[in-house]
Amino acid sequence: MLLAFLVISFSQLAQAQSKRVTGKVVDESSLPLPGVSILIKGSGTGTITDLDGEYSLNIEDENAVLVFSFMGYVTREMPVAGVSVIDLAMEPDITSLQEVVVVGYGEQAKKDITGSVSVVGAETFVARPNSQFGNLIQGKMAGVQVITPSGKPSAGFSIRIRGTNSISGSSEPLYVVDGVPTTDTRTINPADIENISILKDASSAAIYGAQGANGVVLITTKKGKAGAPKFEFSAYGGFSQPWRTLDVLNSEQYRDLMTEFGQNTDWSRYTANTDWQNEVFQNGSSQNYQLSVSGKNEATTYYISGGWTQQTGAVRSSEMDRYNFKVNLEQYMNDWLKIGTNFNYMQYHDVDVSDNQAVNQGGVILGMLSTPPNIGIYNPDGSFTSNPFQDWENPISSTDGSQRGYKNQRVLGNLYAEVDFTSELKFRSSIGIDQSTGIYDYFLDPFRTSYGRANEGIARNNTDHSSYHIIDNTLSYRKISGNHNFTALVGSVLQKYKWENNNIETRGFANDVVTTTNAGSIILSAGNSKSEKANASFLGRITYDFDEKYLLTANFRADGSSSFGPGNRWGYFPSFSVGWRLSQEHFMEAITPTVDDLKVRFGWGLVGNDQISSSSYAYVGRVSYGANYPIGGVIAPGSYQSSIENRNLKWESTEQLSLGLDASFFESRLIFIADAYIKNTSDLLLNVQLPRSTGFNEGIQNIGELQNKGLEFQLSSINTQGELQWSTDFNLSLNRNNVVNIIGEEIIAGGIAGRGDVSYSIEGQPLGMFYGYVYGGVDPETGNSFYIDKNGESTFTPAADDRKFIGNPHPNIIYGMTNTLSYKNFDLSIFLRGVQGNDVFNATRIETEGMTDAKNQSLAVADRWRSPGDVTSIPRASWGNTNNSRISTRFVEDGSFLRVQALTVGYNAPPSLLSNFKLTGLRAYVTGENLFTLTGYKGFDPEVNAFGGSNTVMGVDFGTYPQTRNLIFGLNVSF
Amino acid sequence: MKFKTINIAILAISMAFTACDDYLELDPISDATSTNAYKTASDAEAALIGAYDSFQQEYYIWDNVIFQDVISDNHYAGGDNPEVFAVDNLDIQPVNGRLFNNWSQLYNAIAKTNVVLAKIPEITDPKIDINNRRSQILGEAAFLRAFHYFQLVTLWGGVPLILEPVASTDPAETQKPRNSEQEVYQQIISDLEFALNDKLPDLYGTDASVNKARATRGAAHALLAKVYAQMPERDYNKVLEHAQTVLDSPAGYSLLGDFRNLFDGNNYNNSESILEIQFVGGTEANFGPQLLLPPSVSGDTWRKFVTPSKDLVKAFDDEGDEIRKAASVLFEAAPWADEFWSLQVNGQVPFAYKWKEANGWASTNRQYLLRLADIILLKAEALNELGRGDEALTAVNLIRNRVNLPAVSGNNPEEIRRLIEKERRLELAQEAQRWNDLKRYSRAVEVMNNLVEIDLRTNQPKSFDMSEAKLLLPIPQQEINRNPLLTQNPGYN
Repeated sequence: MLLAFLVISFSQLAQAQSKRVTGKVVDESSLPLPGVSILIKGSGTGTITDLDGEYSLNIEDENAVLVFSFMGYVTREMPVAGVSVIDLAMEPDITSLQEVVVVGYGEQAKKDITGSVSVVGAETFVARPNSQFGNLIQGKMAGVQVITPSGKPSAGFSIRIRGTNSISGSSEPLYVVDGVPTTDTRTINPADIENISILKDASSAAIYGAQGANGVVLITTKKGKAGAPKFEFSAYGGFSQPWRTLDVLNSEQYRDLMTEFGQNTDWSRYTANTDWQNEVFQNGSSQNYQLSVSGKNEATTYYISGGWTQQTGAVRSSEMDRYNFKVNLEQYMNDWLKIGTNFNYMQYHDVDVSDNQAVNQGGVILGMLSTPPNIGIYNPDGSFTSNPFQDWENPISSTDGSQRGYKNQRVLGNLYAEVDFTSELKFRSSIGIDQSTGIYDYFLDPFRTSYGRANEGIARNNTDHSSYHIIDNTLSYRKISGNHNFTALVGSVLQKYKWENNNIETRGFANDVVTTTNAGSIILSAGNSKSEKANASFLGRITYDFDEKYLLTANFRADGSSSFGPGNRWGYFPSFSVGWRLSQEHFMEAITPTVDDLKVRFGWGLVGNDQISSSSYAYVGRVSYGANYPIGGVIAPGSYQSSIENRNLKWESTEQLSLGLDASFFESRLIFIADAYIKNTSDLLLNVQLPRSTGFNEGIQNIGELQNKGLEFQLSSINTQGELQWSTDFNLSLNRNNVVNIIGEEIIAGGIAGRGDVSYSIEGQPLGMFYGYVYGGVDPETGNSFYIDKNGESTFTPAADDRKFIGNPHPNIIYGMTNTLSYKNFDLSIFLRGVQGNDVFNATRIETEGMTDAKNQSLAVADRWRSPGDVTSIPRASWGNTNNSRISTRFVEDGSFLRVQALTVGYNAPPSLLSNFKLTGLRAYVTGENLFTLTGYKGFDPEVNAFGGSNTVMGVDFGTYPQTRNLIFGLNVSF
Repeated sequence: MKFKTINIAILAISMAFTACDDYLELDPISDATSTNAYKTASDAEAALIGAYDSFQQEYYIWDNVIFQDVISDNHYAGGDNPEVFAVDNLDIQPVNGRLFNNWSQLYNAIAKTNVVLAKIPEITDPKIDINNRRSQILGEAAFLRAFHYFQLVTLWGGVPLILEPVASTDPAETQKPRNSEQEVYQQIISDLEFALNDKLPDLYGTDASVNKARATRGAAHALLAKVYAQMPERDYNKVLEHAQTVLDSPAGYSLLGDFRNLFDGNNYNNSESILEIQFVGGTEANFGPQLLLPPSVSGDTWRKFVTPSKDLVKAFDDEGDEIRKAASVLFEAAPWADEFWSLQVNGQVPFAYKWKEANGWASTNRQYLLRLADIILLKAEALNELGRGDEALTAVNLIRNRVNLPAVSGNNPEEIRRLIEKERRLELAQEAQRWNDLKRYSRAVEVMNNLVEIDLRTNQPKSFDMSEAKLLLPIPQQEINRNPLLTQNPGYN
């Protein structure tokens, strides 16, 4: 087959006739440009430049015109006009149509793309410095929802591309950094990122087969550019704080409430007046430094960088810092072999704070709301104070009581070689690794907290090591013949994961001098475990276009996964997409001056998912050890069946139909992109809850179907050009999620403070709908809450079947708009972002308005019912009774918001100033993040989820660390 | 040169193809599988140990106390857990999370015994038949299964009888309807008879810490005595027969001379113990005592659970039962308010005291699963029911004599029945027996509705609103959600 390819390519040379034209084509930095297509205009014949950028072509007509074209460069027409040597320096095309987009295993010009791919480039990143790359794409792309479940410095983010596709499996997209898939996104340094492509539909993601069902995020890091070595230094620093505080009862009001409960104590011992929000919230700070050097010469391209970022959170004791080092290097060994590496080392550290929990579980956010102001922080002996009626320690015991921290060291990178057999046939081989070691240390001293005293101190050490490698081999072929453009790619991918964990917990400490586990007298638990997973894949892709008018892409991928039993190990995932560039048709010529590009795209594809969160050996009936029991005073080893067997387990697959339109007007000054899609996920890898009488809690099965369908719109315009440049990017998307079939099961999740679960997923509804009682109001006679039952009657004691769906956590639309203005040396960027139509279940209010125990409450309960005849919306206080604060419509709030997510003002020093300091660039800027939020939500922040990136629980606020308001000052220098 | 590279590449790709299937065949590293875990004699022992380990689950640590002592007139909930308060208030809803946890733990324990009973007969390792060990293991597993079903049937009545390991996620395999109460009792009896049929030994040797840890003939007879007394078709002849077999056992069970030694933490696996949960500290420790014991012992200042009731303390005092009171209840100033004993912080509040050491959530203190005094009092009960009142009183006075209480006498069976009931209450408080006793004597409704416990905050007696329906707990709602074939007990929705 290889020979056949060669024959085809050389056969072009066989037509020696009248006149020979030769020449050399180079790029903008005078380096040879192989693979440039040279066509004789109007004839359909031509050739391609070789590895040295040289070509030779026979022409019959001396007046012929040669058309030089190459992806990413301006197409040039050169009349032959009798000369025999035509050399050409091609210039990069900066218009968006020619923009090169990174796609799976390759690159494509934007105009040739037939799938749904969104791109964010470095120019967008400049406007918003950040420590996490998720923030770079949040609100920037239609159909891509970046969920930041909390405002902690250590919180990651989760991304949903075109909705949630799985229930028990993962719904996170695949992240690929320079060709190496990875799952940890916290350690990636945004400053090293050149651009991010998101493959949204099945036809573009299918080349990633099994891992592409939730979309693919391709991250390309910076490469050197031609010219002298370029040094770039950037620094920023800033502050953060919560943008809202909540009012709680003061000392006197708390005492009144307790007295109303009949709870008496010696109040003279509790005379403090502590503002817990003031104690827990602090002025957070951040700083970030990055230095890089990059360059490119004939043989070598390099980019080397180092960075450090550090953040102190707006909640006491939370912090994060990260070091990054990076080398991207590419070397031409000779004219057919290129060897390169992308190599990253990161060191990450954070201190987490416990949120999403009640004060009695040590939750800091609820702790600061429900700890009465009447107590101080410390007792005279240095221990932490507790609630006057319960041993619920104040929230400072959670932030300061333990020493804890997570540290991660990671190496991510690859080595690759590319062999150019001919200018048309290339082989690429790459070995990528992702090695990560994370260590969590915890120490609770034996004095200051009651749990610490009871255990005489506790120390834990948990080490996780994960090791991953990927071996890719691809052979690609590209052929241009007349109006026919053809490319083909075949390859194989092997991937292996290995996870190891060691953990130890000891207690019984003499003091707090030594905080590591070795100083404890009793080993409470110690052990290690290992697991593995392997994937093997074969892939193929063909693209074809005729005259840049009719475009076709077809993918096929066979995937094998060790997660499934021998009979179901392999899944086969085809896809295709077609495009039609109407703007290239003759009948469109009349409007061509206005419409530069008009393309319709259609794609279909099938993509698989094998990401099972519970275990990588999901199909096996596992027998675990550790069910030990002492017999004869000696601890004997015991086994138990820890999972139910399912040998029929197989791939979850998502079928997607996608229809899109790309239009560009007025020389790309106005670009409009629209997409519509339907995604059907079937054979869901569902962790079905089993009757406990089986002895098992759940079992993973291929059951059910989910559907996501949606519309996406993206509009970019350059509103003014010249001295004042103003451009606008706007995107809007809507997604509708529907559980089509889960064999009549209810997936119940989101347990709230002894009130049961709030999130239900059932057939015919979206995932994670809020389910509960319909709140009626407060009975003026008794002060009790009444509810509306299924017959529309009011009742104080509704039954379980009086509950109904009371809220939808899915937004109707999400949108973002960025306006960028520049005038002379100044630039301004305003980024607005919003969601509309979603509900948030404010479970924090159940804790702070429930009035069932000795917790302090929010100021709202000052209006509570106290005596018959009181007409109020807040029921009476009732000790130990949750009937007045059931999960009901009372706590469902509109979570819509419009947020000024980022506002940046920058100043770029003029060349006259720069040359004095031998600089090539100098930029100073100020960014405000989260400056203003328009929302009706009553809690700290509507953009939270106590259950993180869960597929089945969304939009629940239960003492969640809120998003903060940040102010950042930065400076970028290059020389 | 180029073509050599091509050849290498082609070779590499084709090797990748062929190597794939092996590459994808991965077995768990840190777990065994259902196909390789049950091959040898020591595999069988490990599976059995796993079954015994269920005695360290929360149900056997203290939830059985909640559903026997807190639910009844012996103890208040104490602590801060709304779901335990609900049990104390006899206001147990099907969604109460403790029900589901207990149900789950007991069925998980049963699943482990089912694995032993199904897998061990297939083991071909000859070592398993040395000293009749295979039979013993099967007997032990059958005993354990009976023990757990006895818990289920007394709590919920008829429950699904699952007697084989479930090895498929098919709903036809996983969802089973309830069997009748009678069928469950029949299964318990048949498992125990199977275990006694040349399987269980009287003793495993001379080491008491083995003999009290493992199921023995004595334990099986003791459980049969309890089962025949508790089941709806009560058979007091059988109760008497099995209780007497325990008393006559070659294992040599005998009452300890000093009641206090039973609960001082220094006499584990004593001669009065028939079966007890083994805790040795460290990872095999009892977290329960930390929940119950007062600040002076536990080192905590938070409100403790399972507070002895005024009615229980009064019962000790009325009887002048100082020894058992001192071993069962400890008064101490509590740094919190208690709505029954003292609204003022630092008032005197009693603590459940049959455990003596908390040891930072890692106590070695045990609970008796079967104790001879219980069997002697059951024998007394059987004798009384069989019209042998004098002999019954002799047995009761044996128990009373140990704690320096005068002998009692009764004139008619009803009077003796009450004497036995009271004696059991004082002897076995906090040992997870009381609710079954009240149910057995058909006294639960009467006792609870006549119980006067004043809530000091309102100065009103607490309302229990006990009814016949509440004799059985509601089937956990979460389980009904998972298994639509289950029907709820009457009186709950």
